[in-house]
Amino acid sequence: MNGVGVVILSMTVAALAPAAPQQRVRVDSWAMSERPTVSDAAPEAVDVASETEAARRFRFEREALQYVDQLYSAAMRMTRNPQDAEDLVQEAYTKAYSAFHQYKPGTNLKAWLYRILTNTYINIYRKKQRQPKQTNTEQVEDWQMAQSAQHTSSGLRSAETEALDHLPDSDVKDALQQIPEEFRLAVYFSDVEGFAYKEIAEILNIPIGTVMSRLHRGRKLLRGLLADYARERGFRRRESTS
Amino acid sequence: MSTENCKDCDTPAESAQRLERIYEYLDGVLSRGDIDDVQAHLNDCPECASDYDLECVIRSAVRRSCTEQAPDTLKITIMEQISQIRTEAGH
Repeated sequence: MNGVGVVILSMTVAALAPAAPQQRVRVDSWAMSERPTVSDAAPEAVDVASETEAARRFRFEREALQYVDQLYSAAMRMTRNPQDAEDLVQEAYTKAYSAFHQYKPGTNLKAWLYRILTNTYINIYRKKQRQPKQTNTEQVEDWQMAQSAQHTSSGLRSAETEALDHLPDSDVKDALQQIPEEFRLAVYFSDVEGFAYKEIAEILNIPIGTVMSRLHRGRKLLRGLLADYARERGFRRRESTS
Repeated sequence: MSTENCKDCDTPAESAQRLERIYEYLDGVLSRGDIDDVQAHLNDCPECASDYDLECVIRSAVRRSCTEQAPDTLKITIMEQISQIRTEAGH
């Protein structure tokens, strides 16, 4: 099944592979048992149509499973609790594997997985929860935006910025959780995952202009909320105590 | 550096626009000319400079707070599940 081009192409892929040592997936013993030969698994060389099931599974484990922690963290931002996040990630990976023959080797696998995760969340998980349809986020927050603007223009300055730097993780996560979901996911994908606007647009299936407006609004809301948390923790503005 | 707000950031609307510029600056989507413009502005406007500092702190706080580790059992469950799937084109 392998052509002459295999070796050359696989070298290119190795050179491009992202270095993420802290995310490395543990190789469990059972996975070793059905490991095919190295040339079978070279990702870029794969002829997806004729690939064997074992080769595909090995390729998926090697390339896709390294993102489990990151997808889990994103799933926590969506579902808000560990058990649902686990179920969601599991479901997304099952779907991703079933569709893996449609994934084009060499393209952005992480963004592809995030798109499946997001779709799974929207189509399956959220429906299953029978959550009421969210109010129109584009309209709802005008008063919140105005409040946020006030906070930031006369609010946190250098000492307080430093205080915010020491906010416990739980406060930061709570604040994120309070901004509307559409904004929250855009902010998360940009600021935590470092996706470009275009990638976020593809993951969320929205135009780039919408990505930008959600990012702007989400960030402003977040900044106002974090300012509140910082103050609640006792870092009050000096002038407000007079 | 002046201690007063600069004339470009007088109104709340102007400040809001400047903040969006700072977001885009940090996102790395501005052209060379716009980058120079933002940098020059940050040097002259203490208000925007502290907004910039605040935005950097917020982003790093969000990044550090959102790094949950999936339970080890999750990876094992996923691998067990996909081992039972036969994909369409695989054989």
